Parts: sequence; structure tokens; C-alpha cells
Amino acid sequence: MDSKKMSRSRAAVALTIASAAVLTGCGAGSSAPAATDDGQPIEVWARAGTDAATTYAALFKEFTAKTGVQVNFQGVPDLDQQLQTRAASKKLPDIVINDSAALGNYTAQGYLQTLDKSTVAGNDKIADSLWDEAKGLDGATYGVPFSRQTMVTMIRKDWREKLGLPVPKTQEDLAALAQAFATQDPDGNGQADTYGMTVPGSTERGYLGWWASSYIWQDGGSYLKDEGDGKYAATASSAEAEKGVTWIKQQFCTPGNTQPGALTAATSVASPFFQTGKTGIILTGPYNLTAFDTALGKDTYEVIEAPKGSVDNTVLAEGENIYVTASNGKPEQTRKVIDYLVSPDGQKAGMTAGKQPIVRVPVNADVDAASVYNDPRWGVVQDALKDSSKAFPSAINFVPVKQAAAEALNKIVSDCGSDNVASGLKDLDTAINNELTSQNAKS
Amino acid sequence: MTVTPTKPAETLAPAKGAKTTPARGKRTNRKQLLAIWLFLVPAAVLGLYFKFIPMVEGIRLSLFKVQPFLGDVFVGFDNYIRVLTDARFMEALGHTVVLGLTQTLGALVVGFVLALLLEGQSRSLWVLRTAIFLPVVTALAVVGEIWRILYFPTADGPLNNILSWVGLGPLQFLNGTDTALWSIAVVGIWSGAPYNMVIILAGLTGVDRSLYESAGVDGATIWQRLRYITLPALRPSIVIVLTLAAIRSLRSFTEVYVLTGGGPAGSTEVWMTRMYSLGFQRNDIGVASAAAVLLLVVTLLLTVGTQLLARRKALR
Amino acid sequence: MSQSSTRTPARASKPSASARFDSALGWSPRFGTNMALRIVLCVLVFCVFALPFLAVISGAFDRNSSPTEISLLPKTFTLQNFEAAAQQGLWGYLLNSLVVAGGGLLLQMTVSVFAAYSLSRKKFRGQALVMLLVLMTMMLPEEVIGIPLSLVLGDLPLLGIGLRGTVLAVILPVGIWGFSIFIMSEFMKEIPGEIEEAARLDGVGEFRMLFTIILPLCKPALGVIGIFGFMMVWDQYLLPLIAANDPSDYTLTVALSVLRNDTTVGPGVLLAGAVMAMIPSLLVYLFLQRSMIRGITSGATKG
Repeated sequence: MDSKKMSRSRAAVALTIASAAVLTGCGAGSSAPAATDDGQPIEVWARAGTDAATTYAALFKEFTAKTGVQVNFQGVPDLDQQLQTRAASKKLPDIVINDSAALGNYTAQGYLQTLDKSTVAGNDKIADSLWDEAKGLDGATYGVPFSRQTMVTMIRKDWREKLGLPVPKTQEDLAALAQAFATQDPDGNGQADTYGMTVPGSTERGYLGWWASSYIWQDGGSYLKDEGDGKYAATASSAEAEKGVTWIKQQFCTPGNTQPGALTAATSVASPFFQTGKTGIILTGPYNLTAFDTALGKDTYEVIEAPKGSVDNTVLAEGENIYVTASNGKPEQTRKVIDYLVSPDGQKAGMTAGKQPIVRVPVNADVDAASVYNDPRWGVVQDALKDSSKAFPSAINFVPVKQAAAEALNKIVSDCGSDNVASGLKDLDTAINNELTSQNAKS
Repeated sequence: MTVTPTKPAETLAPAKGAKTTPARGKRTNRKQLLAIWLFLVPAAVLGLYFKFIPMVEGIRLSLFKVQPFLGDVFVGFDNYIRVLTDARFMEALGHTVVLGLTQTLGALVVGFVLALLLEGQSRSLWVLRTAIFLPVVTALAVVGEIWRILYFPTADGPLNNILSWVGLGPLQFLNGTDTALWSIAVVGIWSGAPYNMVIILAGLTGVDRSLYESAGVDGATIWQRLRYITLPALRPSIVIVLTLAAIRSLRSFTEVYVLTGGGPAGSTEVWMTRMYSLGFQRNDIGVASAAAVLLLVVTLLLTVGTQLLARRKALR
Repeated sequence: MSQSSTRTPARASKPSASARFDSALGWSPRFGTNMALRIVLCVLVFCVFALPFLAVISGAFDRNSSPTEISLLPKTFTLQNFEAAAQQGLWGYLLNSLVVAGGGLLLQMTVSVFAAYSLSRKKFRGQALVMLLVLMTMMLPEEVIGIPLSLVLGDLPLLGIGLRGTVLAVILPVGIWGFSIFIMSEFMKEIPGEIEEAARLDGVGEFRMLFTIILPLCKPALGVIGIFGFMMVWDQYLLPLIAANDPSDYTLTVALSVLRNDTTVGPGVLLAGAVMAMIPSLLVYLFLQRSMIRGITSGATKG
């Protein structure tokens, strides 16, 4: 009796696991079906919270009114997760609007169709440099630039004027200003509770690598360089990069130049310091202008041209592209959507149609951000984008490189006592080269 | 009916091994057998569909380079090698163990003390117990924000302020490479202790009051009472707490992520944050699955160990 | 401690004697150094565990709540954060959460009670293995089984039904939770076999055995799995995210997480949302505490 029971129970358990295995075995690893037109409205996805989604909705409403093409738009806050889920069921949304940095990942996963730049109406209005950024490792174009922005330097004007200091023009000026903000009580409340720069120094999501890139470029260095033909090599241990990182380390190791706790602060933790008047300098994107205006008031702070490093004043540029997925079987409708999105009307709608702009600096050269927003500060952003900005290479998946950079830099700057810049950067070189090799992009 | 105190040996005898009563004949056994399987069916069906099938698939994915759209590519143990040879992974493993041990023991002890302190019927105790449960019901992100502010590393940060009352200097807390892990452990103990308090309070209800009375008659001190009556009676609750802790502590992720993101200088990296960096951030689900399977194996060993230890101690 | 001195007169005064044996440490309800010590400790414990939440609550009612400092009282009292939260649709998400948590908890407790009864009150070979399987369901991080789970939800194997976009897509998966089964099982094991024996002599069947004999003796365990089960379903993030077809189906936890990543949403609204999210769990805990603290007259294992 017992042995029968035993074998029965054992069998039941084994059956459970076996059936689980069998049931999962079906439907494994088959490749995607060919793209066809299923007669449904064209499906467009974009990463958007509730406010941004209102702008998209208004924009597509205008589009449908103009062209008669129905659009099924979904503003998806957690785009990456949802996209993977759709990919797993082999049916991606027709068009995806997402970071230009996602291109490398999407091409590696086979999500995208190539595009012919010449089929886009008004493609000459979009700068060549932007089109170059939309190329994959094989040189083909995989995305259409939709929106761009750069990091900008913002300073507490009232503090600076109170201390009688000029607008900083060089990295040294910036450091001196930060120190002054920390030591000379610029808010006049008699307490030493103000600090210089707002820095997201955490390794979370590679924030430190993201923030530091501008300063390293300004000294002539960079994390890696493009050797052509879809190959890259790490250059983090060059003398110029070392210069930039040394300057960054000085900021972390001079008390007051960065906000306390910068080493573990993500942007969501760091930005409030500027917003609540605890720090006086911040390098961030223009998407914060509205929040800062509400919190601080337009006149208390100023948007300035980035101070120069030893070479120039390059800042990081980022943006969004329009991607056509491999499941897209509606070329006509797609063309119409893309044409509209990069046209002056579409770009303007993206900037003003809803509660939150989804186009920051327009890619269409005929549209001027400063006049559309009626805010000269946007002119600073637009000029920086045109004249002194660099983007991370989008043909590779840059996220792991950014992460490696953040981890290496965090390690370097958290140990003020030792001379670890050179050795730390050498380690970063190795890490970046390893990553490039695993992506088949090492020269 | 005789009073049956909750002494370990007696209560476990019926739960383990063969029943003391003679077999009542096949018809009872068949009915009971039917009952066993019937009662297990809902759990089995739900478990199969929503736990085991995804789990087996997740484990299967660890052997592949996962490309949801293009089709997965079999890579054997490459993902596992990738995980095990990652320089920071071993460090992260060490941190996970340290954090896990500290949080488990700390939360157990503090939870036990809280349960003892707050046991009772009065209304004020009721309210107090609810107030103390707040750390458990609050979203971890909010808890993280609160503690970030408390841990502000300058001299006027709230905790540093309090420390200065007792003459201790300002600490770096989350900002220092040697203090960050302990700071996170404290937060873990703080949010885990009320959790354990609830389980132990439930266990304390099962302690036979007449035992306390007879102990009082015999002239036992409070410590002796605790040691010889309360603690043994709490054995099942403590086993529960430890087993769950073994499973949970290796998976601590959100509090680390929210408080330090793994820094500074990787001093608070744990298994799950490494899994995130190596796997999900790179969209490399195969590697993430491999790391998870390794985690599963270790957790399994730990759990089986805890259960065996518990059974052995009980039978003694 | 002053316990030894209060014990000898105990035999004389009956009320305080029985009260003294109500708790493990033997707190006396009379005032004295004992009570004073207890009050001091309770205040300390309250400050450590509950005081930081005053900051959260005050921040939710504060017009200019600052994420860089905490204050125990709002500087400018206002309800605007809650109004803004309403505008973001947080009350709707709260309702979603309540529906999901209510249904999910009901299913979970039912499934767990039945399974635990099998695992603890019956003997069969392979029992330990089944329990291990139960525990194993908790050992893989949910992110790793996320994609496979979403595939299962989209198309149930053998049944071919898709669950996405329905409430069932969240309620069914949370119906099975190893924690609940484990705890119920451990507590059920503590019930002496004699009680069951006596009932069988009276010819009690399985269902009646479970519901009229065993369960009433497990009230504390039911309370524990009730509160923790509620919180587990309430805090679900990944599951509602992959189960929803539309952002309006999100639960409060998911919605708050999305808002947290939105740079234009102020900290006050987030705190208001956090307060909204805290309250149901606290209420469930308040309600279920009754079962976890023994009554003066009830006895868990006595006769």
C-alpha cells in the first residue's frame, strides 16, 4: 500500500514537472512571421506618461484630420518591458517612437526594418549628422530623427549676482563658482546648507557615466571612438580623458562642490536639490525647465552656454527616433505618418499640442524652438545642439558601456585619498573593449 | 478532556511519520486519499499554469541567447560562465550573504522583542501595534526616500543630529564605502522586524497560559520562563521566519536599488542588482535567467538545510 | 526586574495574577516600575518605527513638500496634493487595486487553506517533496519569469484562453502563494492529533473536519496570511503591468511607480498617492489583529 502511494505521489510530481516542460517546449524559438497588412489601424507606440500621452493624442488627431489615416496610438510608460512582451508573441507594434539610443539594441534584436532616407518628405530639412546617428552597424538607416535635445547648464542667477561673480566661461570658473556657492552662504540664511553642483553620481542606470560624458568630451577625451565600418575601440585611458576625469574627481573630493550623497544619487534624488534651493548649479535636460520655473521662478535661475573645458564646450545630445518595426506591413500609411511627424506642422504640434512637449528641439531646420516656445532659453539649447553637441553612438547598444563607465567613475571618485584615475580608466578600457567584443563591434 | 500543552515532541508526533491509531480499513484510506488530492488540486492547477510553466521556461531560457523576435539561440552554459566570471559578481555574492545574515538575525531579534513588548489586549497596544506596522505597508520606494533623508551625510542630517546628542561624529552612512552596506542592513531590519513581530505574536497566542501559571508556582524567573516555555513554543514561528528569510534575503533588491543603486564603488552590490546590470539592462534575458537559476539552486539548498535542521531539532 | 517581588503576593490577589500570565513577559497591568519601563520602551519603539511616517503624512498635506528634508508637521496645510492625485486618476487606480486585492486574497486564502490541510493533516509519501515544490514557487525572482508568464497569460496552454486585459489575469496568478500555504501548514501541524481522532469517532467528514474543527483553531494563522496576502497582492507591480491591456487597468502600485518616473509630477502628489496606498493595508491589519491576539477567555489548544 505504502509503495503504491509513494510511487503514485512521485509519479504525480514528476508528471507536473514533465507537463510543464512539454507545454513550454511548444512555441519555443521559432522566428517571426512575415509582415502583412491586417487591415487594422496603424499601431504607434511611444514611451509617454499621462501628460505626454495627451500631446501625442492631439498630434495624431490632427494627423488623422489631415490625411484620413486612422492611428491606434498607445502611450506606454514601461515601453521596454511591454515591447519585449510583444516581441515574444512575434507581433510588434507597427511604429515605435523611442530613444535614439535604443537603435543598437533594436537592430541587434531584429526588431527594425531599414529605411530609405530619400522616401521621407523633407528629409533635407533634417541635419546630416542626425541621419548619421540613425544608422546601424551595417551602415543602413534604421530610424527617422524625431526630436532632439542637449544637456544645458543652469545656474542660480540670484546667488551668483549676490556673490558678485560673473557667468562662468571655463571649467575652472565653474568649479570656483561651485565652491563659492558652498562656502559664502549665497541664500543668506546664515547656515552652511548650500552646495555647488547637482550631480547624479549613482551607478544606477549608468547615471554617472551619462553626466560625466559632457565634461570628458570638453577636455578632448571620450569613452570610445568610431573606427569606421561599424567598429569601435575604447579610448577611456587617453590623456585627455584622464584630464576630464581628474577634474570630475576634484569636484567630488572638494567638500561642497557637489551635493552630499552625490555618490548614490540618481537624477530623481539629485534634481530636487536644485529645485529646493540647496544647490546652485545643474547640468540637465531642458525637460526640467517647466518644473524649475514652477519651483524657483523664471528669474531666479539662468540657462547658460556650457563653460569650456580645455578643448571646447561639448555637451551630450540625446533624442528620439521614429522606428519602423519588422512586423510593419503598411508601408503607405507608415510613410504618411513619418512625413507628418517630421513636417513643420507635426513638429510644432509635438511641441505645443498638449500638456507636455514630446518634441523638445525640433529636427526640422525650418522650425525654431525659441520662437515656438516663446522662450529665448530654448535658443541656447538649439545652438548647443547645432554647434557643440555629441551623442553616444547609437549603432551599438551603448547602455552597458554607459553602465561600465558609471561603475568605473564611481569607484574612482569615491576614493579621494588614492591616485587611482589612471588605473581606474585602464580598467574601464578593458571593460568597454570586452563589451564591444561581445557585441561584435570591436575594431 | 485533558489539557494538551504545546510541547514540541508531542505535537510533532502526529504530524510526522505514521499515525498512532490503527488503520481503520481501506475505505477510510481511500476516502482520505481522495480528499488529499482533491484539496491539492486548486493549488496544483494554479501552480502549474502560473508558477511552474513560467519557471521551467525561465530555466530553459538560461541556456539560450534570448532573442524574442528573431528566435532563441542555444548557447549551452555560456550564460552561466558569463555570470560566474564576472568580477563584481563574486563581490556581490559576499555582500548578499552578509546583508542576508544581518537582516535575518536582526529582524528576528527585533521582531521577537517587539512581539514580547507589545503583547496584550489593551486598546493602546492595538493602536501601537498598528502604528509600528507602518514600515511594512509602505511602498519600498517611499521608505527609501525617507531613509535617504534621515541618512543625510552632513552634520545637520537628521540621524547625525541625533548621534551628536550622544557625542558621536557625523557618519557617511550611504555615502561611504564601508558604511553603506550596514546602513542598508539597518533599513532592512527596520522594515522587516514588524513583519516578524506579526508572525511571532500569532505564535505567542498558542502558548498555554497554564504553563506560565505553573512556572510561577514553581518560582521560575522571567528569563527561565522565556527560555523553557515561550521559546520552545515559538519554534514553529521561528522556523517559519527563518525559512522565509532564507528565501527572501538572497533576493533583496529594491531597498538596495532605491538607497544606493549598488554603489558607492560597488560596495552594496548584491546578487539581484548584478543580475539587473548583467542581464536586464543589456536586454540579455539569457544571462539574467542564468543568474536567477544559480540563485534558485542556492536558495533551494538553504531552504532544505533549514527544514532539515528544524525537523532534527524538533525530534530531539 | 521587579517581577520576583510581585510574585509572592500574587497568590493572594487573583485578578492581577491571571493577567500576569497573559503574556510571555508577564506584564502586570498595575502601575509601577514595570509599567513605567514598558511605557518608555513603547514610546521609544513608536518613535523609531512610526515617527518617520508622520513626515510622509505631513508631506502629503503640505503645499511645498520638499524631497530633501523631512518635517513632522506640514508647513502650509493643503489638500491640493490629493486634488492633483485625483486629476491623475489615482482614485480610479485605487479602485482597481481594491478589486484585485479583494478577489486575489479570497482566492489565495481558499487555495492555501485546502492545500495546507492536505499537507499538514494527512500523511502521504512525497509530502516533503510537495512542500518543497510549494516553497520553490517563491524562489525565482518574478522578473525572470515575467516574459514566460505574460505568454501564458496571453494564451493558456491546453485551454487556449487569453486572460490579458481581464481582472482574472492578476487574480489567478496571485491565488497561489507558497508563503500562505507554508504558514497555514506549519500552524495546522501544531494541532494535536487527538482532536481530529475524537472528531473522526463522531464520523466527521473531511470538509466538516476542515471547517468546523481545524480552521477555528488556526485563527492566528488565518490572520497572518490574511494581512500578508493582502499586502502581497496590493504590492504587485510586474503582474498588473503585463496583464493590463490599457494603462487604465493599472493598479495603484503600478500607477505610482509610473508617476515617480515622471519629472513633471511634484513630490507632494507622490506622497499623497503613497498615503492612499498605505491606508487599505493598515485597515486590513487593524481588522485582523483581533485574530492574532488571543482573547482573555479563548484558549487555542485547551480542551
